[in-house]
Amino acid sequence: MPTWEEFKPFIVTGLALGGVYALSGVGTVVLYRATGVLNLAFGAVGAMGAFIAWSLIDKGTVPDGVAFLLCILFGGVVTLVYGLLFGPPLAGRDPLVKATASLGLALILLGAMSWIWSDKARSLNLPTSTHTFEVGGVLVNWTQVIAFALGVAVTIGTGAFLRYTKLGTAMRAMASDREITATLGVPVRRVEAVAWLFSGLLSGASGLLLANLIGLDAATLTFLFISSLAATLIARLQSIVVTLIAAIVVGLVNALITPIFSISQYRDMAPFVLATIALLWMSRKREISFTRGAG
Amino acid sequence: MRTMFRWTRMRPALALLALAVCLLVLAACGSSNNSSTATGGGGGTTAAPAKPAVAASKCGLGNGQKASGTPIKLGGIATKQPGTDFTDIPNAAKAYFDCVNDNGGINGHPVQYSFETEQTDPGQAAAAAKKLVETEKVVGIVGNTSIIECTVNHKYYEAKGYYVIGSGIAPECYGTSNFAPVNMGPRYSVDGAAQYLIRQKVKKIALDQSNVPGTGYIAAGAQAISKDAGVDFVNLKDNVPIQDANSVALKAVQAAGPDGGVLLNFTPPEALKILQAAQRQGLQDRVKWACSTPCNTDFLAEALGSAWDGKLGVNAELNLTSADGPDSQLYRDVMKKYAPKVPLGSFSQMGFVEAAVATKALMGIKGDITPETANAAFKDVKDFKTDILCKPWYYGDGPTHVPNNTDRTTTPQGGKMVEKEGCFPISDVDPGIKQVRQWEQQNGVS
Amino acid sequence: MAGVSTAPARARGGLRIGAGDGVRVAVIVALFVFCFVGLPPLLSAYWIDVSTSVAIYSVVALGLNLLMGRVGMVSLGQIAVLALGAWIGARFLFGTGLPFPVVLLIDGLLTMVLGTLIGLPALRLTGLYLALITLMLAGAISVVLAATNFPNGGGGFKGYTDTLQGSANVRRPDIATSDPAYFRYTLVCMALMFALALWHVRAKPGRAWAAIRQSEPAALAAGVNMTLYKLWAFALASFMTGVAGALLAAQVNHLYTFQFRAIDSILLLAVVLMGGIYSLWGAIVAGAFMKLLPALLDNWGLPADLLTILFGVGILQVLLTAPGGVAQQFPRDMARLGGAIARLFKRGEPAREAAK
Repeated sequence: MPTWEEFKPFIVTGLALGGVYALSGVGTVVLYRATGVLNLAFGAVGAMGAFIAWSLIDKGTVPDGVAFLLCILFGGVVTLVYGLLFGPPLAGRDPLVKATASLGLALILLGAMSWIWSDKARSLNLPTSTHTFEVGGVLVNWTQVIAFALGVAVTIGTGAFLRYTKLGTAMRAMASDREITATLGVPVRRVEAVAWLFSGLLSGASGLLLANLIGLDAATLTFLFISSLAATLIARLQSIVVTLIAAIVVGLVNALITPIFSISQYRDMAPFVLATIALLWMSRKREISFTRGAG
Repeated sequence: MRTMFRWTRMRPALALLALAVCLLVLAACGSSNNSSTATGGGGGTTAAPAKPAVAASKCGLGNGQKASGTPIKLGGIATKQPGTDFTDIPNAAKAYFDCVNDNGGINGHPVQYSFETEQTDPGQAAAAAKKLVETEKVVGIVGNTSIIECTVNHKYYEAKGYYVIGSGIAPECYGTSNFAPVNMGPRYSVDGAAQYLIRQKVKKIALDQSNVPGTGYIAAGAQAISKDAGVDFVNLKDNVPIQDANSVALKAVQAAGPDGGVLLNFTPPEALKILQAAQRQGLQDRVKWACSTPCNTDFLAEALGSAWDGKLGVNAELNLTSADGPDSQLYRDVMKKYAPKVPLGSFSQMGFVEAAVATKALMGIKGDITPETANAAFKDVKDFKTDILCKPWYYGDGPTHVPNNTDRTTTPQGGKMVEKEGCFPISDVDPGIKQVRQWEQQNGVS
Repeated sequence: MAGVSTAPARARGGLRIGAGDGVRVAVIVALFVFCFVGLPPLLSAYWIDVSTSVAIYSVVALGLNLLMGRVGMVSLGQIAVLALGAWIGARFLFGTGLPFPVVLLIDGLLTMVLGTLIGLPALRLTGLYLALITLMLAGAISVVLAATNFPNGGGGFKGYTDTLQGSANVRRPDIATSDPAYFRYTLVCMALMFALALWHVRAKPGRAWAAIRQSEPAALAAGVNMTLYKLWAFALASFMTGVAGALLAAQVNHLYTFQFRAIDSILLLAVVLMGGIYSLWGAIVAGAFMKLLPALLDNWGLPADLLTILFGVGILQVLLTAPGGVAQQFPRDMARLGGAIARLFKRGEPAREAAK
């Protein structure tokens, strides 16, 4: 059994990993709260944006900053186009159908990425990664801080936005029942478009950060996204704050298992096991079901 | 309603069309690499050395004439799937064969080389071998590089009398009479890296590998060598793809302890993650670092940057891509002309050497080139000298083959890999090496 | 159009045998006989291997087809269950000398028990949750498998020896060791699984499932024991996938974790949707999409990534416009084509609405 001294640095790496999960998880839940669509292509969109940024930087076509910006924009545009094309026809269907449709987008992007950028050792360098400071004997770099801060900022910002602004209320109403909201005179298509665009921009930004923090390859980023879904599940896709907290807890557990050699190999199971336990605990009394929007 | 239905029906088709246009644009942007650069943020440089060029050796007959007789069919199998792509090796072999075809072929006959890819599906790998031998009727199999192919197919090759020249990965590649690898394989490369660390006077070695079948087999050699040298040894595993490189690097460093050494055995993208995470946490000076041969690529050296200069000892089964030497020069020329998209590195060097061996063997055949004569020629290869390998390569009729059992250590320096230690033999404390050295002695191979 | 059911299960009801059924059965038998007798001599070793894979994955697709089409439950972890079945099958084939059909049965039953155990608490969750939790379970299983590895002839519970060089082959049934013979064996097993599925669909479970899929509150009101029938569907799907796993283990002789990736479960979902979830034929189409198309693409020198993209488009297409998938769409398209051809030949006469 490792000593406390040996565990300490893993708390820091755990928080960093939790921040990464949180960014992905919060971005997904935010869109769900606003449109009732669980966008399972969130991770793939971000990854593709990161690859595009890498290609542009590799060629030297544009300055690095512009490439990063284009990555974020790519996320926004692709998600927006998807939402505009496939949102309305599927609007009345079960959330499961809407989520499955987004799997279609995910597959398209994953296939495209694998085709265009075959697997090589690539890395995306962000200028903030080179600046570090020390916490508890472990070096932390500013990119990790940004990822964490962005997750928190989105949580607080979106929570407040959805609760206190008119547009936010319209979004929540739409996620609950689109048709009734439309009859109330809310410009549903426009509101939806805003939600999709914002979620897309967020996916581009998190793709950029994750590509730097975790690695630039599609398989890792996909697996990471699936792990981050665990946090969203624990929050039952409702509370953004719970998603954030759950993501951090999952990241911590995952990292803290690492130095325990006997079970270290199973550490990647942590997100899945935690999500399963949480869900089963919450469902023990009643059947959890989805109405046509966020519950 | 009807119009809407039609529009909705067309939507996916339109989306597909739009996507196709985007993909074409992206493919034009993304597919051409400017040689060895892999980082976002770094300028690209080619790996062409600034040293005075040695005269390159020749492909095949070297007479500049296009070959045009009946083609000689050769084939290969390589793994290609997300996370593992070994196609650089057969692609490099193909480049060499293309060069041979432009230079008189094999005594006038062009080589027709093609290879199958497999996605670690054993059924697929078995079917690929059968396709090559029974459908395509290749006379020889060259350039095989697959995680599973040796395991699945070695009995088939033994039964059909095919002597494969390839790159070994699975243990079975080093345990059958019908496969001779140009490389050393993970076990012996890890041995060599362990020997480097021991020379760096570490007290403990922490070996970290990707969690795929065979890790115990790979670790066994290094463990024996460490024990023999009085150095502690611990064997770690991590699932790939690695999500949390920070924790992995930290774990390895902690396991090695003070004055310890970390030995990584991963594919380049995963090793890169760990090394970058180690650097970001300032761990590159805490312990000594070593890596098995997949790390020996300029891609990695460039991506790592100056923080790692001289600090990572990479076991190199093959010479530097920038080495002086006629074969190395030919290698660079051939890759530049016939396979510009394949990066310079151990993978393409292996393919090059495998094709060169096969070509020389086939050129020495008097009479018809059939599967029987071709494979007999492969088996008879002896004393194949090349500056890409430390020692002359051979096939022979031994029960197993590890002809490449002497190698170097390289280290990243200024964005490139440079030599740190010259050729040294892999320790015969490892029983596999001991057996091979005994056979070499008995059969008069140096 | 004989041989294909274009109507959802509930319309077909009961076990009535009519004239249409007779033709259908005849076509099915003829197809089976052709595949059994005629196909092996026609195909090279490569394509026999592909065909065996198609047969095996059709059974896996059948499990998901039943879950999605009959009960409306989505599982994103079927490939993980297949891996589980393959593990169990390999362990038994290595560790015991039991005859192959017995191992198949044990494998199916064990996988069924495990699948049901996993499914039991999750069945109280509906729709999206179930899908996501099966994705989570698939992730968990893939990590466990990476850690424990597949049996390779070693000893102990795991049957895996880390340092084994030259690992053993999973054995095949004594009567079917060669590839063509094994293909026939797999074909027979596949037919049995489809017969099992058909029997379920036509009997009481099928009607209960149809009621659940139509409207859960209504089914509850009608007195259908929802938990039991949902569990039954899960158990059946797991049983079939377990059997398929054992067949897979013996086909490939060596098992690797790379064969069972997380994305494969999503691809399976895509092909099952594209094949058509309202007809059992859809499962065969799905199996072909999953295993035949990659082989064809490889043959034509095209990258397998094209298929990933194609399947992504396929999901969107099916969900938007053709919920019945190929199995439903194909006969309609053929009928429409036939009508168009008929109209061509009868230019003077007013066009007949031949197609629906």
